[in-house]
Amino acid sequence: MAEQLLIQLLIGLSSGMILALVASGLTLIFGIMDVVNFAHGELFMLGAYMGTTVLVTTGSFWLALLGASVAIALLGAALQITTLRPLVGRDPLTTILATFGISLVLQNYALWQYGPVARKIQEPITSQFQFFHIQFPWYRIVIAILSAAIIGALWLFLKYGKYGIWIRATTQDRIMASAMGIPVPLVHTAVFAIGSAMAAASGVLFGPLVGVNHAMGLDWILKAFIVVVVGGMGNLGGSILASLFVSLLEAFASLWVSPAQAVIVSFVVLILTLLFRPTGLFVPTPK
Amino acid sequence: MAERWQDEEWAKDLWYSGKATRRKFLGLGAAAAGALGATLLVPPPWREAFGQAKPYKIGTLQPLSGAGAAGGKTALVGTQMAVDRINKAGGINGRPIELVIADYESKPDVGRRKAEKLAVEDKIDAHQGGFLSNVCLACMPVFEEHKIVNMIGVCLDTTITTSKCSRYTFRSFDYAPAQAVAFAPYLVGKMGKKWHIAFADYAWGQSTRDAYAEQIKKAGGEVVGTTGIPLGTADMTPFLSKISGAFDGFFGIFFGKDGVTIGNQAFDLGLTKKYRWAGDGAIAEATNLPALGNKIEGFVGINRYVPVLDPPLNTPHHKKFFDDAVARLKQIDPSGPLPDRYVQANFEAMNALKVGIQKSGFQGRADTPKLIAALEGLEMKEGDDFPQGDKTLRKDDHQAFLREFIFEIKDGKHRIVEVVPKEKTVFPPACKFA
Repeated sequence: MAEQLLIQLLIGLSSGMILALVASGLTLIFGIMDVVNFAHGELFMLGAYMGTTVLVTTGSFWLALLGASVAIALLGAALQITTLRPLVGRDPLTTILATFGISLVLQNYALWQYGPVARKIQEPITSQFQFFHIQFPWYRIVIAILSAAIIGALWLFLKYGKYGIWIRATTQDRIMASAMGIPVPLVHTAVFAIGSAMAAASGVLFGPLVGVNHAMGLDWILKAFIVVVVGGMGNLGGSILASLFVSLLEAFASLWVSPAQAVIVSFVVLILTLLFRPTGLFVPTPK
Repeated sequence: MAERWQDEEWAKDLWYSGKATRRKFLGLGAAAAGALGATLLVPPPWREAFGQAKPYKIGTLQPLSGAGAAGGKTALVGTQMAVDRINKAGGINGRPIELVIADYESKPDVGRRKAEKLAVEDKIDAHQGGFLSNVCLACMPVFEEHKIVNMIGVCLDTTITTSKCSRYTFRSFDYAPAQAVAFAPYLVGKMGKKWHIAFADYAWGQSTRDAYAEQIKKAGGEVVGTTGIPLGTADMTPFLSKISGAFDGFFGIFFGKDGVTIGNQAFDLGLTKKYRWAGDGAIAEATNLPALGNKIEGFVGINRYVPVLDPPLNTPHHKKFFDDAVARLKQIDPSGPLPDRYVQANFEAMNALKVGIQKSGFQGRADTPKLIAALEGLEMKEGDDFPQGDKTLRKDDHQAFLREFIFEIKDGKHRIVEVVPKEKTVFPPACKFA
């Protein structure tokens, strides 16, 4: 049993870090802009497709990761300027509908542009190591480390970078930040672009494990929303902890219950969180 | 001559010049309505070839958006190939086919609604299509209620022609029990006695698991464990990592993107090296191979169709089908995929409907009983209509039996290792029509 627990611990941690990368982009956008981005899964998917294009052209996985992130960041910025900026100050429902509309457009665009055949992103490291009775791919460890590095870089940027401070100031008080000369609309655009780039990066990183297809975002986005709520909407640290928490819980649950029941665990956590700590598990209880 | 064409004398009456009078508005409105009316009077393309012959309206429900869209798009290629070929050859009984395409967005509720629309508003004469089993099952009662023949194109759930069978629904391709009957002797005799089955945990996966468990046991083997994984699970490793122990073979029952996921992740965890790796042919469908790369090497599967031109598929009929399918698939996917069983099954299902209509003299929905009678027990002979091979549409349950191909993936391509004749795939009927 100890062997199985350790295997599931490793799997839960590696899956949790990928989920954390997807969820941090989502929570960043919500935290700063109050926008629930339903198109996040499609940005994840388009990032993976863009990765295949760059990979075919250059042959380099790392250039694909970089190129896809930059391209989707630019797309995200364009989407924010054209679709979300005009909706600032309106009912939050309008932004939900707008991002949902964008998600449908992007999904069908991918199907039209790339066709129905799934694409492959060849992972840069193909070797495995023996871990008890299973072979564990080194690439999963690389994904977990890279995800941690990207999230860490974002945290450092927000904490110490000049523009990171602008972003935090905008989060705390939009009007005061504007009064102090911070270009709030530009900050919003930049935040959406950063969130989109993170979605794209996770799409490229996860692509080798599942193949790239037009519906790949659907599988992740629901789970990402769950961890964002469980971690506390807009709370970056909370989302990361929640990603690890939910992934580990599902991994350990799979030892005792069927896979179908293990998947339900995250929904149970979501419901319990909404019932007993609606502000999120990893935020201080409001006094 | 004026600098802008809008300033030309002749354009003055057409171009908005800053003053919109009621007369101008009404005039332009009438002109637009006239133009629209004129386009409506232009006959559709088939009119030119068929004069005033009333077309057969055939509906086709496909998932053209949503999670199942990738498969739906290729499936539709098969249907359209058959319709174009039929219309080019003079239609059926001198009447062309008018295909009414409906996208059910990969959702059963939408599928049911669209099936109602096809029956009531579009007034289709028959239906050919369906891709996701849960949608096929949801729509079958609609076709039964409106007395419309429903020739299924892809749905593989066993119950469609067993416990939930319908007098109006036909399946002109194989189903899991027939594949299991054909494959189990090979699995047990040539690959190993003890098997672990991993399956997509929904209608089709469960019924297929049951069929293989039964046939492997009958062939002298044993299923030591099963793992059901929910449809659309992106990370299967927590579940796959639990699979261990003393058994010979690992058998997968997945399709579409789940087929790609299991292929990649089972390889990554070393399962496909530790155990013999076999499964439903849908895992290694031609449209999945690019995303699986070399991780699917050595996979042994069974399928009614493999995209190769080797014997016994080296016939001129199959070559014609293959070339046409490749050209059409290239139009919807720039990577130029090879045809898969979804293209083949829809192509042949439409042709089965054509043969039934010809045989029965079917004129419209009022003749549905005659069409059913013609389709029951229909013998389909290998040829341009049925390039996959001969098949028989059994009267008792409306289930077809056809030859199966056991294949191996070698150097990224399908290689036929055994052909199982249709007679050796027969499974007893288990249907009682209401």
